[in-house]
Amino acid sequence: MVAPKTEAARTIVAPGKPRVVVVRTRKALVQGYDADRGALRSMLEAGLAALSGEKDASKAIARYVRPGERVGLKINGLAGRQAATHVELVDELSALLAKAGIEPRRQIAFDRFKRDFTASGFAAQARRDSYQCIGNDEAGHEEEVAQMPSSASRLSRVLTRQVDGVIDLPILKQHMLSGMTGALKNNFGCINNPNKMHLDKCDPYVAEVNAIPEIRDKQRLVVMDALRPVVENGPSYQPGAGEVANLLLFATDLVAVDTVGLGILEDLRKKRDLPSLDKAGLFPTYLLTASKLGLGVSSRAGIEVIELEV
Amino acid sequence: MTVLSRRGFFLTCGGCALAASAGPLLPGRAFAGSTPRAYPARFWKKLEGKRIECGLCPKHCKVEDRERGFCGVRENRDGEYMTLVWGQPCAVHVDPIEKKPLFHFRPGSQAFSIATAGCNLECKCCQNWDISQSKPEDVDFQFMPPEEVVRGAKEYDACVTFTYSEPIVYLEYAIDTAKAAREAGVRATMVTGGSGEAEPMKEVLKYLDAVKVDLKGFTEDYYQRMCKGKLEPVLKTLEVIRKSGVWLELVHLCVPGQNDSESEIRTMCRWVKEHLGRDVPLHFTRFHPEYQMKNVPPTPNATLIRCREIGLSEGLRFVYTGNVPGLAGEDTTCPSCGKVVVARRGFELEGLHIKNGRCAFCGFTIPGVWS
Repeated sequence: MVAPKTEAARTIVAPGKPRVVVVRTRKALVQGYDADRGALRSMLEAGLAALSGEKDASKAIARYVRPGERVGLKINGLAGRQAATHVELVDELSALLAKAGIEPRRQIAFDRFKRDFTASGFAAQARRDSYQCIGNDEAGHEEEVAQMPSSASRLSRVLTRQVDGVIDLPILKQHMLSGMTGALKNNFGCINNPNKMHLDKCDPYVAEVNAIPEIRDKQRLVVMDALRPVVENGPSYQPGAGEVANLLLFATDLVAVDTVGLGILEDLRKKRDLPSLDKAGLFPTYLLTASKLGLGVSSRAGIEVIELEV
Repeated sequence: MTVLSRRGFFLTCGGCALAASAGPLLPGRAFAGSTPRAYPARFWKKLEGKRIECGLCPKHCKVEDRERGFCGVRENRDGEYMTLVWGQPCAVHVDPIEKKPLFHFRPGSQAFSIATAGCNLECKCCQNWDISQSKPEDVDFQFMPPEEVVRGAKEYDACVTFTYSEPIVYLEYAIDTAKAAREAGVRATMVTGGSGEAEPMKEVLKYLDAVKVDLKGFTEDYYQRMCKGKLEPVLKTLEVIRKSGVWLELVHLCVPGQNDSESEIRTMCRWVKEHLGRDVPLHFTRFHPEYQMKNVPPTPNATLIRCREIGLSEGLRFVYTGNVPGLAGEDTTCPSCGKVVVARRGFELEGLHIKNGRCAFCGFTIPGVWS
């Protein structure tokens, strides 16, 4: 694994296998698409503690961000409330960050379009004492092009100018073009042209986008929302496509967390008698490419998985 | 409508990618970050749920609700496909027709040139990437419905030209504008990569007078690796255009070491002669380092000259060099008497010796649109 270049990120690179913590609860979802905030808080605290080795949640989160830093919260709001990163999860994480010395005004949730925040239930977060919600369409993109071997993109100005580090908050989904969407693919929301990157199951584009230094070096933590993954007909929400799993995944290795997420997705598909993504011709090969680029571990055997229930 | 003097207007037209630098033409400008207006798109079909499939180009993007296709300018809104660029060009300029280049279409005339954001390819060497690889809200644009485009073209005694980015992605706008132009007695031309489906192309061809197609390479590998596209659909489009009777010219941008081998050029010239005919002009133009290929030097003159010689040796009758003013190969020579019937230097017309479509020296018919 390539060591992140930022000083704060460097402290979280541990020798040995990357760790992925899977936290399960039986009571996270209480009604419709609304999640129980208390349950989420417990899951966050347990997950961060297990990931970091710290007992106290504030100390745990402080392993990934430092007081006074500006922290980006990269959500996935595209599919609206039914299949977006839960606003309750972001709210609870924001509260933890505040306890760790990151004032809400220094926390910026961002995604491609401003409208996606409204559609996914973040409208109330416009209040003064909360974190900011900014669409790349508002903030714009850098003029300078970030070159990749297979393509080129302009980077979100939120990413480049407004945050020091990023917490990746993907929602786990099957994706009809890329196979799955998780932590790596969520970073398509850091560029201006994801529409150009969906050929060939997004391979090698997902991997190459994540290898852009400005993106790679700001990754601090992944909290994957797998409370209600979309297991078929994704990435948009179709009635009946979501499956309650009540899971949150924690990691610092984006490839590893996606690899574990893929396994969860496959298990949920199996329960529905759906073919595996491989058999459906949708295995997300970009995971292997990302691993080859040194972005993380794509072999399940090479990942330390810790499972918890709260 | 604010009117600039013609000279004043030209002064704003220094570069084809200077988005909306002709802004004073019309009110209704919007700056980057503005929300574009959405209009119903054509050429698509519904799939299950709210998913749709675009039928405009060979990519046939399957687009989720609230998502866009590869081009970035057509969006699925609650199961209906919308175009975000109809009537909203980001570039408006008056160019010499030679800049397109169209060499056999009214030499010395002007082209009222418009473009919107977006493209259905992503060429690593794109010369206009800042608009072609942008979404509508990423660039300044102005509201300019078809009748305003036609009015502008008439004011400058120009044809309307859809160019700079990729007209196929704003085809509804191009169709409506070309139709309005035809009704007003104004000609309409298109500069395209040719990566479109036959039916939409036939629809716009009804109202076009000339088309220039960028034949970017002649291998599938080149199109896939360098353009995120395919060669075969482009070749089909070329045949559709040729059969339509609309005047056709081709450009091959010679990218050093990528698409300029003798075998590739020769194979391409043979295909052009066999499938399109020897009278279709073929331009070999110089590449300038741009976008993802800033580390590649410009095409050497010798390469352009060599490519032109290959084309002529394969029996094509009108083969040109381009983007190098003064380089041999800019003039049109009569295939019968060998005299120069159209003399050019860069985009400047220096002499025209064609009368009623015939060589002024020997009377040989020179294919093209001359009046």
